[in-house]
Amino acid sequence: MSYFFQLVVSGIVTGSIYALSALGFVLIYKSSRVLNIAHGQIIAGGAFITYALTVWLKIPIYLSFFISMIITFFLAMSIERIFLRRLIGEPIISIIMVTIGLMSILDGIIYLTPFGTYNLSFPDFFPKRPIIFWGISISWTRMAGVIITFILISLFSWFFKKSPIGVSMRAVSDDQMASMSVGISVPKVFGLAWAMAGMSAAAAGSIIGNITGLNFETLHAFGIAVFPVVILGGLDSIIGAVVAGIIMGLIQQFAAGYLDGNWGLNGTADVLPYIILLIILLFKPHGLFGTHEIERV
Amino acid sequence: MKFKAPFIIILSTILSLFLLAGCGQKQESGQEQGQRSAAKAHTYKIGLSLAITGSTSDAGNPYSKGVEDYINYANEMKFLGDDKIKCMIRDDQYKNDVTKRNFEDFLSAGIIFYLNYSTGSTLALKRDFEEERIPVIPASFHAGNLIDSNYIFLPIVSYSSQAIGLSEYIVNNHKGVNPKTAMFIHPSAFGRGPVEDVKKAVAAGLTMDIIEVVEHGRDLDNTAMLKRLISKKVQYVICNTVQSPVATLLNDAQRLGISADEFGQEDKITFFGVHYTGGNDLIALAGTSAENFFWTTSYRLTNEESAGASAQLEIAQKYGRDSKTANSHNYTNGIMAAQIAVETIRRAKAKGLEINRSNLYNELTAMNGFNAYYPLTTVGPVTFSSQDHAGVDTQIIYQVQNGVFRSICNPFESTYTGKLK
Repeated sequence: MSYFFQLVVSGIVTGSIYALSALGFVLIYKSSRVLNIAHGQIIAGGAFITYALTVWLKIPIYLSFFISMIITFFLAMSIERIFLRRLIGEPIISIIMVTIGLMSILDGIIYLTPFGTYNLSFPDFFPKRPIIFWGISISWTRMAGVIITFILISLFSWFFKKSPIGVSMRAVSDDQMASMSVGISVPKVFGLAWAMAGMSAAAAGSIIGNITGLNFETLHAFGIAVFPVVILGGLDSIIGAVVAGIIMGLIQQFAAGYLDGNWGLNGTADVLPYIILLIILLFKPHGLFGTHEIERV
Repeated sequence: MKFKAPFIIILSTILSLFLLAGCGQKQESGQEQGQRSAAKAHTYKIGLSLAITGSTSDAGNPYSKGVEDYINYANEMKFLGDDKIKCMIRDDQYKNDVTKRNFEDFLSAGIIFYLNYSTGSTLALKRDFEEERIPVIPASFHAGNLIDSNYIFLPIVSYSSQAIGLSEYIVNNHKGVNPKTAMFIHPSAFGRGPVEDVKKAVAAGLTMDIIEVVEHGRDLDNTAMLKRLISKKVQYVICNTVQSPVATLLNDAQRLGISADEFGQEDKITFFGVHYTGGNDLIALAGTSAENFFWTTSYRLTNEESAGASAQLEIAQKYGRDSKTANSHNYTNGIMAAQIAVETIRRAKAKGLEINRSNLYNELTAMNGFNAYYPLTTVGPVTFSSQDHAGVDTQIIYQVQNGVFRSICNPFESTYTGKLK
């Protein structure tokens, strides 16, 4: 039974990190209906900033983590201001194309730095010895990842539901014209959405970087790897991202634990989440928690 | 005596004029000589297309620097006399279509030797290499590169031979019945390459059980897979992929307490890897989890004293490379590819042959026996023939000890690779 529970715990932990990575997508989509294809590059950028602060400037890693989130907050806000602000009101496909271009630009910038091609790792911050309970093992890094994920997700959920700015952001997401007519500054809302997404990306990048080491390819690939999580959760739902992340994490662990290596099967942990995603979308096209929009003509 | 001073002045002026004229004449003849030799001097073009950015650029970047530096070094040291080599290096971002375009551009520029990079692009361009009859050295050591190919030459032993060599090491040192082994591979032609060959070696008598072949994905957590392998009593895992997934695997194994502290420890797993899994980058990524990782390649490492290591560090220093690049085994790898190209051209030139693709191909295939090439950076000589297109046939095994790769055996040739041939 401990094997089963180990898989459950590993699935939840991995899923939480997926959820945190997916959060940036959701935050931007929720307020602006834009899919930011360059999210993976921002995840990687956040991780590299944390590394630079920790290793080059000798700032304690926990402090670097928060400074990196602040830097990425302003960095993402600047990206929105420079590249996307002018496109408010333009067709969504144009904006998505800009984010694809942005992905290439960020790729290029990162390749100009040592982070583009070097493999690095954070200095050991947590004890190497894992937390073990009832025979189930979990690393301190992952545990920290889960805690940070749930803190951030709780904060963002509260922010969107209760804070006046969060409510404004939801209003902008529903109808930009109507929001402007009641005095909401749409550009400011977009800027803030990008900034918050940047902040969550930095957190995700730093956690993933602590687990896998700092390799640009591995890090930015997570921006795309969490796409099924975002779709399954429902694109504009924070809770959806969490639930979908955990579902994906559990499916991967169970597939790797019970299917792979048996009956000639291999690699099901990578394929099965997509199969289940397709099946769920057949019945719930807007994802598990996505807003089902009904347009009356 | 009054006439003495003007006489001395006139005499010294005349002498000076003669001297100047002499020098001038000498200078002129030097210039003429230079012009004559410049007229005779040739520039040979070679091309390299690889991933300086994009996927696997952590290996491609130091590789390109190795090639660039060695070619500059060869030119400066006049390895080819007054002749020079111009190496055109282009980034293909690990995209086969870009590699093909780069290769075609190089052909238009008149290259006589080509250095390629990935397994995918080498397999994809195999037919083009045949049509162009151009000698090619890829950075991919996939044995499949050599099937139905006359012009591809692997600089060192193939991934298959490396994996078989590691398997032989496991069998020779394992205590008890057949060692239970798994393979952890990249989901691509590069990763899958050695699987069938290791299986063939087992079928040919290598007393080892391959329990499972795992193709990894973008795994954040390998718990399930590692627990499964332990439940199947797997004691050894041979990896053929890149460093990042191996680092995650080693971290997870350490967390689960199943990393062997020494070779063959019971109820634990000892990890092994072929060329692209190891090196300093693995230690940078995995930290202390990399301890006791066994890794094979045909290159000498800079952390162990050797003439090759000194030469490599000297070249890196000369061209202002940072310590990370200077000590990278992929920098060595790039130097090696360039060394073979330069040496082939040098040999053809020494024989007074025209430097063209055909003559370079003949020189490469004659590189054996007394004509074998002994670069300092490898653990054995480079030997090619019309039947053997794998350069260095020997390999060596390193183990991470106190955060540094240390050689644990003498260079050896895999027995079963020979048997399978």
